[in-house]
Order: sequence, then C-alpha cells, then structure tokens
Amino acid sequence: MLSIKDIVPAALNNITTQFILLDKGKVATEGQSKTCLALVADESAAVHFQFWGEECDLFKPGDIIRLTNGIFSYNRNHLLLRAGKRGSIEKVGEFTMTYVETPNISEMRWVPDANNSKKYVQEAVISPYSRIFPPML
Amino acid sequence: MASKLLQLAPHEAENHLELSLRQAFQLLEPKLRPPFPLKILTSDECPDLTRAILYGALTETHLAKTHIKHLHATVSDGYVLFVNLLARIVNELYDKLAETAKTQVLWAAGEMVDVSAVGFSGLLVSLLRQIVGGDFGSGNLWLCFEMVSLFLGKWDCLLEEDPLILTSALYNFLRLLADHCRATVDSRLDALKRLEIEFCVKMLREQFGLCLKFGRDLIRLLQDLVHVPEFRAIWRDLVSNPREFGVAGFLDVAQIYSMRTSSRYFSLRLTPEAETQLRFMLTHVKFGNQKRHQTWFASKFFCSPERETLIVDIVRFICCAHYPPREIIHSNTIPRWAVIGWLLKSCRKNYVEANAKLALFYDWLFFDERVDKVKNIEPALSLMVHSIPHYIELTHALLEFLFLLVDNYDMEQKDMIANRVSSSFTLLINQGLSRNLENLTSGEIIPPPLKEKLRCFLSDTRVGTAQEIQPSKTLGHLIPMEVGTALPEEHLTDV
Repeated sequence: MLSIKDIVPAALNNITTQFILLDKGKVATEGQSKTCLALVADESAAVHFQFWGEECDLFKPGDIIRLTNGIFSYNRNHLLLRAGKRGSIEKVGEFTMTYVETPNISEMRWVPDANNSKKYVQEAVISPYSRIFPPML
Repeated sequence: MASKLLQLAPHEAENHLELSLRQAFQLLEPKLRPPFPLKILTSDECPDLTRAILYGALTETHLAKTHIKHLHATVSDGYVLFVNLLARIVNELYDKLAETAKTQVLWAAGEMVDVSAVGFSGLLVSLLRQIVGGDFGSGNLWLCFEMVSLFLGKWDCLLEEDPLILTSALYNFLRLLADHCRATVDSRLDALKRLEIEFCVKMLREQFGLCLKFGRDLIRLLQDLVHVPEFRAIWRDLVSNPREFGVAGFLDVAQIYSMRTSSRYFSLRLTPEAETQLRFMLTHVKFGNQKRHQTWFASKFFCSPERETLIVDIVRFICCAHYPPREIIHSNTIPRWAVIGWLLKSCRKNYVEANAKLALFYDWLFFDERVDKVKNIEPALSLMVHSIPHYIELTHALLEFLFLLVDNYDMEQKDMIANRVSSSFTLLINQGLSRNLENLTSGEIIPPPLKEKLRCFLSDTRVGTAQEIQPSKTLGHLIPMEVGTALPEEHLTDV
C-alpha cells in the first residue's frame, strides 16, 4: 500500500493506495465518458483524482476509497491519479481518516531522473495546495 | 435459493462480516436441512454452524423457523455467539441490509428474547439505536413500530430477565415521542405514537421505581411531552401526589434532580456510526482542520430540518459520555467545547437550539460534587470563555440562557438551583479556567446586567457542600421548551 507522497508519475498501472475523498468538481465529458475531477488525500499528501463514468455519481466527499492498480500520469496537462483501464476503486469506509492537503503531488513539476530517464522526480512545487480545490477555512 | 443479506451499491467493497457468514452457510448448507445429524459438534464446528444458521435464518425466510429450531437443538453457549453476531450485523450493517433481512433480524431478536439468550439486551440496544429521531421515512418508522411492539409484547419476560433494558427503552421512546409529536400531522404516526405513549405510561405508572434509576434526565425528557394529555396527568401526579407512584421514599419530584443520569443512556439516541464519527473527530481531527469533517457529518446526519433534533442528543453525549484523555486535551485536537459551538451554530430551529443549550447546562442546575462529574460541566464554561472575543454574542447568549434557567426552570427550587450553578462556577474556576474568566467580569466585554449577575454567582458565599433539596411546598411551573421565544399558553403546566 503506497502512501500518496511516494507516488510518482509513470505509464504503469501499479498504484495501490487508500485515501479519503475531500472534494469533487463538476461532471464533464471526455469523448463518450463522464469524468469528474476530485481532491483526495491521505496522511502524507494530497493529489488530484479523476473519476470516470459511473464512478462520478457513486462516490461522495468523506468516502474512504481503495485504489488497486491505478495510474498516475498526465491527462491533458493535468497530472492525475485514476483507476484507468486496468485498475479499480471501491469504497471501504467513511469519515474516519485524517489527511493533509499539502503537499499536493499533482501541483508539482516533475522531471525525468538524471540517472534513469524512465523515472520521474520532483523538481519544484507549483503550488503548495490544490489550485482547483483550495482548503476549506 | 437464499436471497442476499446485503444490498451493496456497486462501488462498495465486500464486507468481511457478511462474507464470513455467507461462506459458513455455503460450506455447511447440506447440514442445515433436516434430518439434522445427531452427533455432538466439536467446539471447532460450533461457531461455523452458528454462522451458517444465522445466515440461513436471515436470508431464507421460508426456512427460518427450521434454522432456529436447529439452533435451539445445537446451542451450547447460551446463544452468546448468535446474539453477538446478530448485534454486530445491526451495529455495522443495518442500513445495508436487504428489506427481507431486516424483517428477519427483528424476528430473530424476538426469538432470542423468548429464550433469554445471553446478551439479548445488548442486541435490543443495538436495534433501538438504529431508530433515527426526526427521520419520518417508512423504513425508520417501521423499525420504531416493531421495537415498541416488541417491548410491549414481551414486557413480562423483559421485566423478569433484565429490567434495566426497559429503562433504556423508556429513554428512547420518550425522546422519539417528543420528535414524533412535533411532526406535522401524519396519520402514519398516529398508531405509532399511541403505542409509544402506551409503553411510556405503562413504565411510569407501573414501574416508577425502575424509572427512577434513570436519574434527572427523566425530567428533561418528560418536559418535552407536557402537552400530551397522558403525560400532563403524570406531571400532575408527580408534582402534587408523588405517593401515587407507589415507591417507598419517593415523596417529591425534586428528589429526581439529585440523581445523575448514567452516561450509558446518552449513546442510546446516537447510531453507532454517529458515535464513531464524533469520537473520531474529538480524538484525531486537528483544531483548525475540522471544516471538512464537520461538513460531511452535517450532510449525513442533519440533512433535513427534522433531523436537527439529533443535535440535542449529541450535545448531551459529548458533555457526559465522551471524556478525552489528558494527551488529547493537551494536543491540538479539536476540543469538546468547539464541537459544541459548531453544533449550536448549526441549529436552524429555535426550540432545537433551546433544548441543546438546556442539554449543555443541565448538570449545572443540580451539580453535587458527591455524585456529579466536573467533566460534564466543563465544556459549557470553556465554550463561553473561548468565544471571547470573536464570538462574543454566543457568550452573551449562553450566559443569558443560564440565568434564565436559574430563574425559571423550577421556581420552587430557584435557590437550590442558583446555589448549584454557583458551585459549578467555583469548581471550574478551581480547575484553572479563572484567568480567562476575568475577561468576562472585567472590562466591557459583557453588558452590565449580565456582568452583575455573573459576579453574584462567582462570589456566592453559600458555595460549599451542596444544599439539600427542599421539598416543594406548592406546585411549581416547569419551563416549557420554547425558551427565549414567546411562551404559548397551552404549554405551561396547568395544575
């Protein structure tokens, strides 16, 4: 089980992690499918998550979600965590999880590792908090 | 073909409890049909068979009686495992149960009462806690109806086996009845209210000695029902003819004030889920970071105006049934007073807010160091003090309400109540809140009339051992719910 702060962008479906859904944006369409952007987090970090299709309506803020075989990659310039074709998400609980909203790994600039161009490393912080879902004060 | 136990939404993970029951059922299904094997089961085999029987009883309605007979024939632990599993299903999964399974759960609970199964009271409490006050959906009203019918139908057995469960039921139905009476005229509720009234009146008239075990919150709950004719009659007798209740030593309704209500009653009106979420908030959520958790809690539990009455029960619960340990108090976890402040601000209805403030101050009015706990009264003062200066209107409102209570709650006992409120202030000051308290009494923070009254309470020289409660000499007026708004004539007790 990965902590969110340890997730790196890759073209691989190997991310298994658990987080709490903090906020959901409006449902949009991408091609044939419904999509919905969301802010999710665990105790180590936050990230932007993309729901697809039916997922958009089923999950609500406060839900604790387990992601299996997910992917963290660029989708139209947004760095997003999602289930992808080979992954899945399910609701495992509600409410009883603490979280942080910073750092947000979607709001980082990532560059290929100098030693291994297949791996990515954090180069800079674009914004400490999500610019799409600012913290609730 | 067994129907499903749970109705899970497509995105929900499988549940371990349900899985363990279903797997046992699938494994042992051939052994669940008569003729039942006569060999004695080993202690290893019993739990699996119990799980299998439970699953069968809840999902095979037409075979349920057979399953229970099988249970009676094979039980060797006083039904402990069966009842515990059933209680766990209710606590953890009630909302997700299929409709037929809910009916079966109620039926199985009745069966367990009939055999005086070990732990049946815990099961009944679990079921009572699933009834949501202020939820007038048919499912919830059905559960309420079934439970009050069960308590009336199995009265003799319950009285003999575990009389205290009847006091838990009384707490529940008095509280629920107050919510049901507030609902706009709805004929579905008439039959239910009649049963609730029947149960409560039976308890009060026939088992008053048991009711007294409740303690002072009995008065708080009964006051919300003053406008119901059957309860008006009970009030009349309580105030003018206490001997009518036939309890030796009970001579005056004011005696009830001196009995602290056990904290176990205050979780009765919260679902296990609400309790879990509240305790989580008060244990893990940092002060300053609580907004999201509060929004989720409110949207789940106060989603409609009628369900707001839960706030009253939550305030009482936080004051009296949740004591954060020292490490939590000294950490930056959100404190109890802050959660209560949020709850009070969430009230949209005047009477809910008034009842919530009464719940907050209730133990202040009768505080006796010998039986009461300072932790029950601390949140109110902390809230008043910490609201200075940014939420000063709340401090004013709370002080005003407290003084209003002292003057009007029970006019016959005004001196005693004033004395007890003084004690409460003094005890809390001795606990070290005095520095901030000076903000209240000095300077221009609060208006002069309030400041004067507060000074009186803080310097009261009668503080010491609590004065004994003097018996009422004449009939008192007891305060109706609409404190702070115009008092409708018909709500005043008319004795």
